[in-house]
Amino acid sequence: MKKVMIRVLTIVLFLGCVYVTSPVHTGAFSSQQIARGALGDDVIELQSRLQYISFYKGEIDGEFGYGTYWALRNFQEKYGLPVDGIAGTSTKKKLADVSQYNEKFVKDNIKKGNKFTHYGGTPLASQVKKGAGKKGAGKKENIQLPSKYSDRDLKLIANAVYGESRGEPYEGQVAVAAVILNRIEHPEFPDSVGGVIFQPGAFTAVADGQIWLTPNKRAKEAVLDAINGWDPTENAIYYFNPITATSEWIWSRPQIKKIGAHIFCM
Amino acid sequence: MICSRVMKKIVFILAYAFAALAIFSYGKVTESDNLAIALSGQYAKKMTDASEKLEELDTAVKKTLLFNETDGSEKAREDIWRLSSDIKNSVASLPLDPSFSTSWMNYLGRLGNYAKGSDRDGDYEEYHKVMSQASKNLDELASEWQVATAGMVSGKLSIKDWNKRLDSAHSEHDWSGMGTAVKQYTESDFPLTASESDSMKKKELRNLEDPKVTSDEAVDRFKKFFPSVSNDIIGVEKSKPGSPYPFYHIRFSENQTIGYIDITEKGGHILSYLAERPFGKESLPFEEIKKKTEKFLLEADYKDVVFEEARENHTAWHLVYVRVEPEYDAKVFSDVIHLKVAKDNAGVIGLDASEYIRKENTKKQEIKKVDWKSFFHSNVKIMKNELAYVENDRLEQRLSHYLTVTNEENGKIGTYAVIVDTETSEVIKTEKL
Repeated sequence: MKKVMIRVLTIVLFLGCVYVTSPVHTGAFSSQQIARGALGDDVIELQSRLQYISFYKGEIDGEFGYGTYWALRNFQEKYGLPVDGIAGTSTKKKLADVSQYNEKFVKDNIKKGNKFTHYGGTPLASQVKKGAGKKGAGKKENIQLPSKYSDRDLKLIANAVYGESRGEPYEGQVAVAAVILNRIEHPEFPDSVGGVIFQPGAFTAVADGQIWLTPNKRAKEAVLDAINGWDPTENAIYYFNPITATSEWIWSRPQIKKIGAHIFCM
Repeated sequence: MICSRVMKKIVFILAYAFAALAIFSYGKVTESDNLAIALSGQYAKKMTDASEKLEELDTAVKKTLLFNETDGSEKAREDIWRLSSDIKNSVASLPLDPSFSTSWMNYLGRLGNYAKGSDRDGDYEEYHKVMSQASKNLDELASEWQVATAGMVSGKLSIKDWNKRLDSAHSEHDWSGMGTAVKQYTESDFPLTASESDSMKKKELRNLEDPKVTSDEAVDRFKKFFPSVSNDIIGVEKSKPGSPYPFYHIRFSENQTIGYIDITEKGGHILSYLAERPFGKESLPFEEIKKKTEKFLLEADYKDVVFEEARENHTAWHLVYVRVEPEYDAKVFSDVIHLKVAKDNAGVIGLDASEYIRKENTKKQEIKKVDWKSFFHSNVKIMKNELAYVENDRLEQRLSHYLTVTNEENGKIGTYAVIVDTETSEVIKTEKL
């Protein structure tokens, strides 16, 4: 009898420990902290719930930017929580207690490219603005970029990278994107993404129309790395394929390194 | 009999197909010709615009030379900046010889910036000297430009002939000569300032004085920092002789991970590292990713950096760390390290420290008190105020107030970084966050 009691007590104690040390289930969200810079489903839920109780007025897009950050801080301040702009366990629990979240409704509308006029408080049908009647119209890339670049920049550079270097190794694709970005910073070139890419004679993919091919994930990832600071070319502003290049002038440029089929130069 | 009927049918179908093809080809050729004519017209218009604006620019430069005080020439100096920018845009959208167009865009940019920045410097004697020479050079350039573009502007040259003339090694117009002339004008009229030259040297790492490392030592360094991917090296190449600073380019492939690392020859510093591999679906919490990243940074001897920002994407986090200057506990935004960290195992799959290697030379600077209430509109809230070294438009590192401010914009909160020089209160940059 004594042995049984000890066993039962041990099991109860063990289960108690597991309960105490495991993350508190808030009835919503995943168990992870959500902070500025985060991306994904947890952020969609955070934005929706904050909008439901009128703290957040921005777009529900799953990107935790400054708009979401200030809204979350205001929420934390109002409910007497530590004001740090991070959705930890206590913040998520409070948020789940005071708001509602219709996951299917929100995600379906995001998938369709619809935007919310205001999530919550009114009949569901009046909460969304349909995306200009086209399937997927207004759908965002859902990628976090440094503030000086836009989704449009990413798409255009990805088009150029795919058109120019889709057969190249990943490093070579990052390198082509880096050359475009280096040109924008260079005084001898236009100072915008469009200006650099469409400068007459600058890129073969523009001249032969391959720039309008749909870029794949790898090309977009390569552009994302370049936009985030990677430059495998070590500051190159030109590149060429030594087998196909016809310009004599390009051979006169000081060469830095070769990646795949391209030579990168100053 | 049947055979001849079939033959007749085949001949009929072939004749029909041939006629259809001929009509289609004719249509395409006509369409293509029309497009070429339209494009020639657009280019001719832009060349004419550039010629007219070049004359206006020269006049604006001459106008500024009439006055002894900068106030009198303020409008003309603004015109110089605007017109040089307009012509730069026209040049960028025209099919020109690349050496000429790049040199010319550089010259125009520097001319505009010089005119814009001259009111701050207040050295009128120097301004007069520089702009008198610039005016003379602009005169020469304008006439060269008119001769060079005459065929296109008058409609005598088609776009095809124009391109042919540009590509020809023995072009009747000496574009490269024009490019060289403009380059010389740039060097004589607007030489690099000390801070511009420093900035360039930093970027190109020309002045590293550390002892050289061999390719084996560079590989050892790679193995030390990234032991899990450095056992199978595909190749080690030295940078080409034209590189402003020599480095080793090491390519590797281990299991399913492939990538590269560039390490400087002088000092064996990591310039850039990037690995590509398939990713698992699980995601570690960001706190764990940050903790492991900071452990890596300490072990790699990047001890004077602090976390600045992070961005999550589908398979990885991009993290940014900046150096802290101890005198004022100020972040130095130009001394930055970028990291790419996998979400599935918190492994560092990318590192770019090229801007961190040669640290900025920061100077002591007065911190004057600013009345932020009168500085900003009453709607603006300052959410954060920290000190940071930031490069101004003269490429000088200035100690600044790095302010994160918010403003209510149509019911939403707009967030901005406003960077204000601590000594002069000049607004160095305003950026939407």
